[in-house]
Amino acid sequence: MNNNSNKMFFLFILFFSTLISISSNSWFGCWIGLEINLLSFIPLISNSKNLLSVETSLKYFLTQSLASINFLFMILIKFSLLKNFDMNNIISIMMNSSLLMKMGSAPFHFWFPNIVEGLSWMNNFMLMTWQKISPMILLSYYFNKNFLIFMIIMNLIIGSLGGLNQTSLRKLLAFSSINNLGWMIFSIMISENLWLFYFLIYSMMIFMMISLFFLMNMYFMNQLFINNMNFFIKLNLLINFLSLGGLPPFMGFMPKWIIINFLLINKFYFLTFIFMMTSLIIIYYYIRIIYSSFMFNYFKMKWMNLLMKNNMSLINLSSFISISSMILSTFIFM
Amino acid sequence: MLIYDIWFLFIYMFFLGNLIFVSKNKHLFVVLLSLEFIVLSIFFFFFVLLIFIDYDMYMLMVFLVFSVCEGSLGLSILVSMIRSYGNDYFQSFSML
Repeated sequence: MNNNSNKMFFLFILFFSTLISISSNSWFGCWIGLEINLLSFIPLISNSKNLLSVETSLKYFLTQSLASINFLFMILIKFSLLKNFDMNNIISIMMNSSLLMKMGSAPFHFWFPNIVEGLSWMNNFMLMTWQKISPMILLSYYFNKNFLIFMIIMNLIIGSLGGLNQTSLRKLLAFSSINNLGWMIFSIMISENLWLFYFLIYSMMIFMMISLFFLMNMYFMNQLFINNMNFFIKLNLLINFLSLGGLPPFMGFMPKWIIINFLLINKFYFLTFIFMMTSLIIIYYYIRIIYSSFMFNYFKMKWMNLLMKNNMSLINLSSFISISSMILSTFIFM
Repeated sequence: MLIYDIWFLFIYMFFLGNLIFVSKNKHLFVVLLSLEFIVLSIFFFFFVLLIFIDYDMYMLMVFLVFSVCEGSLGLSILVSMIRSYGNDYFQSFSML
C-alpha cells in the first residue's frame, strides 16, 4: 500500500495549506492553514501498519494540535485586546512559542528527534523542509526580538550538543535540523530574502543527503562503515556532510557567511561566538563520522560488483552542485 | 466593569485544559478530551467576543468545522493505536 494515489492527494493539500497560511489577510487564515497542514500530513505519515508509525503519528498529532490551538487562543486575545502593533509584550511571546512548538525549535524540541526516528526518509524530508515554511513565515509577521534571540541560542546549543551521542542517522539529521533552525530564525530577523536564501540552500542540502540515504537504504551509522559503496558515493557523502556543517568551499557556507557578516557588522559579538562554537561542535561530529567511514574503514570486497551503476549521474550532479554552488550562487544577485 | 471579569473565565478554562493535557494520565483518551475542552473554551471566548463587538458569527462556524476535523483526526489516531497496541495506555510506548 505504499504507492497509491492517496499520497498525491494529501501532498497536494499539504502544499496548498502552506500557501493558504502564508498568504492570508488575517491571523485566522493563518491558523486555518496550519490546521489543514496537520490534517493532511498525518495521513502521509501513518500509512504503514507497524507500531512505530502509529506512535509517531500520535506524538506528532498531539504536539502540533496543542500548538495550533494555543496559537488560536493567543490570536483571539490579541484581537480582543487590540495589540496589533506592539511586539514587545507577553502575547507576542506566547504566539511565537506556539509557532516554535510547531517547528520543533528548542525549548519545545523534544518530540522532534523521536518522530524523525520513526519516519521514513521521504517523510523526514517533508517534515524537515516543507513543514517549517509556514511557521517560520508566520513568525516573521509578529516576533519578539529578545525572546527569539534567547530561543536561537537555545536552538544552537541543543542542536549541537544533542547530536553528539547519536548513532541513528535520522536523529543526527534531526539535531542538525534544530541547529540550522537557530540560524534560520536569526536570518528571519535580518531580512526575509535572506531567510528564503538560507532555507532554499538548506533544503537542497538536506534533499541531497536524504536522497543518498534513501537510495542506499541506510538508517544507522554502522551501515556507513560496513557498506561496500562506490567511491563516488562516499565522496558525495563526505561533500554533503561538510556542506551541511558549513565548511567554506561548499554550498552550505554561503548563507552562514552572510549571517556572520551581518552579525559582525552590527556588533553582535557574543551571538557570533555562540554561532561559531556550536557550528564547531557540529562539524566535529560530522568529521568523526565521515573520516571513519571514508578513510579508516574503507572496505572493498573483491568478489562483489560496485553498487548503483545506474544512478551515477544524480550522484555526480549533486556533488557538482555542492562544490560549485558557492560561486554559482553569486550569479543570482546579478 | 463586571463585564470584563468574563475574560478571566476564558483564560482560566484555557489554562486548565492545557494543564490536563500536560498532566500524567493513564489513558490517551483523557488527553484528547482535554484538547476538546480547550476547543470548547476557545469557542466560548470567540462567541462572547463576537457578540461583544457586534460582528457576524461566520468565523465561529469555520473555527468549529476545523476543530471538529481535528478532533476526529485525534479519534482516528486513537483507533489506530488501539488496533495496534490493544489499549490506549501511555505505558505501551516503548519504541521511540
